[in-house]
Amino acid sequence: MKDGFLRALARLFMVQGSWNYERMTGVGMGYAAEPLLEDLKSVDPARHAEASVRSAEYFNSHPYLAGLALGALARAEYDQVPAPQVARLRAALTSPLGALGDQFFWVGLMPATMALAIICVVGGAGVEAIVALVVAYNLARIATGVWALRTGLDSGTRVGHAIAESWLPREAPRAGLAAALCVGIALPIAMRWLLPTERAVDLWVATASVLVALLVSWKAGPKGSSLRFSIWAILLAVVFVWGFR
Amino acid sequence: MTRFEPGTASALVAWGTLVGVDLVSFPQALLSRPLVAGTGAGLLLGDPVAGMRIGLTLELFALDVLPVGASRYPDYGPAVIAAVVLASGRPWEVTLGVTTLFALCLAFIGGWSLLVLRRVTGRLIQQNLAGLAAGDTATIAHIQYRGLAADVLRSFLLTAGGLLLAVLLRPALPGTERFTLVTAVAVGCAVAAAAAGAIRSAGGGARLRWLAVGAGLGLLMAALR
Repeated sequence: MKDGFLRALARLFMVQGSWNYERMTGVGMGYAAEPLLEDLKSVDPARHAEASVRSAEYFNSHPYLAGLALGALARAEYDQVPAPQVARLRAALTSPLGALGDQFFWVGLMPATMALAIICVVGGAGVEAIVALVVAYNLARIATGVWALRTGLDSGTRVGHAIAESWLPREAPRAGLAAALCVGIALPIAMRWLLPTERAVDLWVATASVLVALLVSWKAGPKGSSLRFSIWAILLAVVFVWGFR
Repeated sequence: MTRFEPGTASALVAWGTLVGVDLVSFPQALLSRPLVAGTGAGLLLGDPVAGMRIGLTLELFALDVLPVGASRYPDYGPAVIAAVVLASGRPWEVTLGVTTLFALCLAFIGGWSLLVLRRVTGRLIQQNLAGLAAGDTATIAHIQYRGLAADVLRSFLLTAGGLLLAVLLRPALPGTERFTLVTAVAVGCAVAAAAAGAIRSAGGGARLRWLAVGAGLGLLMAALR
């Protein structure tokens, strides 16, 4: 199983490669599990075949944290954990790994990184700053991936306890706070930087657009799409300007 | 000065394909973020500032998106690259609004193409159920590679189509000063999208307070510039 660690880790980078509505990342997990389950083939071929079937069944979690489940499930197969218990472990890990990953990466580290990139660009830092931030983010992501797979493999069925005791539940809310602060700083300076002229009319038009779009977003609730509203609003502006030629 | 030669076009298509695949399939390394994708396209065209400015505008829209697996979200990467081709070398003050509109429409189509891709992969699984039920590792790898290849094709077509449209539309891009108004509307919509996403993510409590503190600091910095 040790020989397969790096191959499984590499395959986890494409765990969503065959994402679909039926098994979600299930097949990607099966593909990443193969190097870890290889040794089982010589020890217990029947168990290996069953484990391969289970490895590609329905699964969904945050892609960066999938290693926790992958490692734990592979460990469970080697530990001869009964099949129904492996299935329950797989199902039980779906929601917590999704929620923690979304909280730490999608709502925390990722928007914080991009907001910092915006602040740097507006401050005149240029391409180098963007590259540095992307590299830093990916180093954090790779380190998390290595930690996740290692923790899963070491913990097996006790992975839930290992996650609860780890840095992840502590740091996830902090990442969200950092993101909120960075995005808050980035928005006004980005708007200032993107305003086409120093004329007051541009500032008023942009500010009015912000307020109307926010009002529409608030009224529409979670179903509201800023993308659709923006397409219509900008299209309306184009027609308006064209009409006054 | 903007260069758009066959070599540059090939590099842009390759970059757009990589950026498109990065969104979901591989490696999800922030390459598909509009600011990164746009800056890359700007560098390839010899106009990194245009790439950064268009990328930053679309990045604000992308900050509203939570890329959770089953949800439907736009694919901004290839769209931004096409938008940079459309507007590079032109005065951004008058073209940014129309360019943003162009990119948003392409991103919407990109989001739809992801749904098609997921259904195609679902059909592929249906065709290989016997192999999956037998735990055949070759079948699992086959589905995985086919899924990845389909996403590469999707991203390639999206980028190539977007670039073709951009080249065709470039001569018609408006250049009169009145279009600064469209830019102002686009900037307002972009900021509102990011703000709505941030408020929604913050929910309440400490995160909302940190967002408010950040916005206060940002307003101060904007006023002092």
